[in-house]
Amino acid sequence: GKELDGEPTVTVRAVNSRKNQMCFDWGPGRLLVSNEPPSNKKEMCSCPFIYIIRKDVDRIDERLTGKIQKSQLVRVSKNYRSVIRACMEECTSVFAAKDPANGRQFSSQVSILSAMELIWNLCEILFIEVAPAGPLLLHLLDWVRLHVCEVDSLSADVLGSENPSKHDSFWNLVTILVLQGRLDEARQMLSKEADASPASAGICRIMGDLMRTMPILSPGNTQTLTELELKWQHWHEECERYLQDSTFATSPHLESLLKIMLGDEAALLEQKELLSNWYHFLVTRLLYSNPTVKPIDLHYYAQSSLDLFLGGESSPEPLDNILLAAFEFDIHQVIKECSIALSNWWFVAHLTDLLDHCKLLQSHNLYFGSNMREFLLLEYASGLFAHPSLWQLGVDYFDYCPELGRVSLELHIERIPLNTEQKALKVLRVCEQRQMTEQVRSICKILAMKAVRNNRLGSALSWSIRAKDAAFATLVSDRFLRDYCERGCFSDLDLIDNLGPAMMLSDRLTFLGKYREFHRMYGEKRFADAASLLLSLMTSRIAPRSFWMTLLTDALPLLEQKQVIFSAEQTYELMRCLEDLTSRRPVHGESDTEQLQDDDIETTKVEMLRLSLARNLARAIIREGSLEGS
Amino acid sequence: MVSVINTVDTSHEDMIHDAQMDYYGTRLATCSSDRSVKIFDVRNGGQILIADLRGHEGPVWQVAWAHPMYGNILASCSYDRKVIIWREENGTWEKSHEHAGHDSSVNSVCWAPHDYGLILACGSSDGAISLLTYTGEGQWEVKKINNAHTIGCNAVSWAPAVVPGSLIDQPSGQKPNYIKRFASGGCDNLIKLWKEEEDGQWKEEQKLEAHSDWVRDVAWAPSIGLPTSTIASCSQDGRVFIWTCDDASSNTWSPKLLHKFNDVVWHVSWSITANILAVSGGDNKVTLWKESVDGQWVCISDVNKGQGSVSASVTEGQQNEQ
Repeated sequence: GKELDGEPTVTVRAVNSRKNQMCFDWGPGRLLVSNEPPSNKKEMCSCPFIYIIRKDVDRIDERLTGKIQKSQLVRVSKNYRSVIRACMEECTSVFAAKDPANGRQFSSQVSILSAMELIWNLCEILFIEVAPAGPLLLHLLDWVRLHVCEVDSLSADVLGSENPSKHDSFWNLVTILVLQGRLDEARQMLSKEADASPASAGICRIMGDLMRTMPILSPGNTQTLTELELKWQHWHEECERYLQDSTFATSPHLESLLKIMLGDEAALLEQKELLSNWYHFLVTRLLYSNPTVKPIDLHYYAQSSLDLFLGGESSPEPLDNILLAAFEFDIHQVIKECSIALSNWWFVAHLTDLLDHCKLLQSHNLYFGSNMREFLLLEYASGLFAHPSLWQLGVDYFDYCPELGRVSLELHIERIPLNTEQKALKVLRVCEQRQMTEQVRSICKILAMKAVRNNRLGSALSWSIRAKDAAFATLVSDRFLRDYCERGCFSDLDLIDNLGPAMMLSDRLTFLGKYREFHRMYGEKRFADAASLLLSLMTSRIAPRSFWMTLLTDALPLLEQKQVIFSAEQTYELMRCLEDLTSRRPVHGESDTEQLQDDDIETTKVEMLRLSLARNLARAIIREGSLEGS
Repeated sequence: MVSVINTVDTSHEDMIHDAQMDYYGTRLATCSSDRSVKIFDVRNGGQILIADLRGHEGPVWQVAWAHPMYGNILASCSYDRKVIIWREENGTWEKSHEHAGHDSSVNSVCWAPHDYGLILACGSSDGAISLLTYTGEGQWEVKKINNAHTIGCNAVSWAPAVVPGSLIDQPSGQKPNYIKRFASGGCDNLIKLWKEEEDGQWKEEQKLEAHSDWVRDVAWAPSIGLPTSTIASCSQDGRVFIWTCDDASSNTWSPKLLHKFNDVVWHVSWSITANILAVSGGDNKVTLWKESVDGQWVCISDVNKGQGSVSASVTEGQQNEQ
């Protein structure tokens, strides 16, 4: 997958098999995440699908009626399906192109995707479209035609040959066209046969007429269901008559077609191979025996179709059970079976979410999430967090889980490895946007510690400021000061100079900032200000005692200036500080180690200071004495 | 369904007693009867040996990763009565501290929630539980609870950090008043809950009785913001119990039997959001459990240990670092 970046919609293509994320039960398939945004949506989001869909539906809610809502939902469902199909195509091209050895892997991947689309499509017809009797069959026919695609290649083969009607597979083609209710095409085939063998032209024409006149509900047709039923009944009886009269006795193929069109189960079952699966059998059976079947009657036909088709030779597979559950309109069962069969959460999470929007899910009180939808979304989102870049998608999903989304996000977000600063910033942004202050603090602390260990003090300081961690800021400031003592200069001046209000985070940090300010003032030759600041740092006790010697030493150049900078009063203060320091009396709160070392150098320094202070005092007194007043 | 995503060949020369992923799921620490502790980089399905730590003189029973804010720190405990804290400095792993305050095998180590600081609880066969607190500059302060469990303590597990009262920003530099708690399981068949008093002493707060044999492991579930607290325990008696307490102040814990296995159950471990419990036992299987709608615990998978697949700790990702 590609690295996802902040705002714009991004396509995440089907990822290669190495990234084992969500595995499927039915085969060695691997990670599948596919979110292709519908082209007309440019909403901001790194999780195109579910977010965009939600936006869609929310907007509609405020507007009009159920009808519009339903068509929107159907459109959304179709989008999902087109995504799955796009994935299938992508798989096909990527895998087949790359490595023929991957062939088996990719073909099972494609078959899994195909199964997913099959299920989704059926759910769309039954639960979202909620097709009533009449249109129901048309939808189911489309459904079958979409998924049993051998017809097209067969058709190409046969039609492409010199003598189509003499082709080996000619009758297979005609049969399967009939099985799929594609009677116009079947008729065209028959006319070729009629042309090629005049002997059978007559019966071909009769058959063609039968095909032409089969009553079927077409979209836009205004006849009522009752009218259709009546007409169909008549047509059915006409076919029956032809059978009784043995009209097609001379052509076993045509006779067989007639029986199919009469909905004869035995005849249909003879075509098992062409039908290839029980649900095709089901739909064909319905087409030719009960085209106005009501949705609630579907399950009866479904179960018996499955039983008849399998004929006791094999047992139903997971896919079969899922489809059966759908025909029974048992949504919860569908979701349950899918959850078991597919160890991938993407499918159930999104399907359930969509169905939830159709208000089809009764709310089960689950411990995790107030309902099944949230439960599944939580699972899906958690899974995403294990992936290096898909975690951002996971964030968005958690946002849509009202009950446990936030806390789940809090728990997961801290576990994202922060390999790069960029990633860390992304994670922090996510937390800050959601006011997850604890997580911000924790993450900043981790980064600050890492920075300290790598001696990147500036970085450590800015992380601890961001974390609002006073204790840590103190620690880092101490390091800065220690560094200064050792090397005589500051690192990361920019940062310290621009602390602003953050300076207040900790006393030590304040001192650091002010101390640096002192140096700046000195550099700008604002000696009087610098002097006052220096003194106040000691008298206000912001400066740690251990640093006083350094501060006093810093005062030296100011004391040695030609003009008098420290006033007499200030000089007395400085002297007091020096005496405090050298008296070696343990000061309340300070430990032994911070007392003045009895060192030659130290002694010399102290001497120098005393001398300087004394001289300055003298000069200051004289100067102040000779000014008017005092 | 659960599937194996990686198999790590540790090259340990003897039984592996524990395997723990670090906080981010990028590293794996394993310890064995061969006395060594090994650390692997397991990113992207790979396995690179980072460190082979020697220092124990007996089988090493458990390892525990500290929170990353303290750096890369790993604790290990062993039959040799010692607890060793290892630290990574400048890319190399070294022994940072050794705690030899127990008279018998140390069976379990568990780091406290990072909010409390760097604190390690250790349970030993001498019946005592010791608590090591890092005070800075390589120093560790030790508090010991003697006779926590008669005969021996087999497991320790910290409760998640929950700040009592509201979570307003504390004045700078001040720590919120956490009530520190942990659970321990012992050879007296009991699970005990411990609480730190204001004077810094640890007091036994509760005894949870339900097992009929040695308690082998306890695991306090991460908090998901609900007012309930949950603890899982497993025992030599083959039973796994889920203990819940509905209200922090009510202090009544009710056990629910998750399952009775046919053999000793050695470990229980929660997923990050506490919705899945991994259980491993002598029957050579690792099973994952989830609570269903009606409050029953359901097994959602079965992973056979022996067949070259890794224990649940890898597939479940980060476990109870608490």
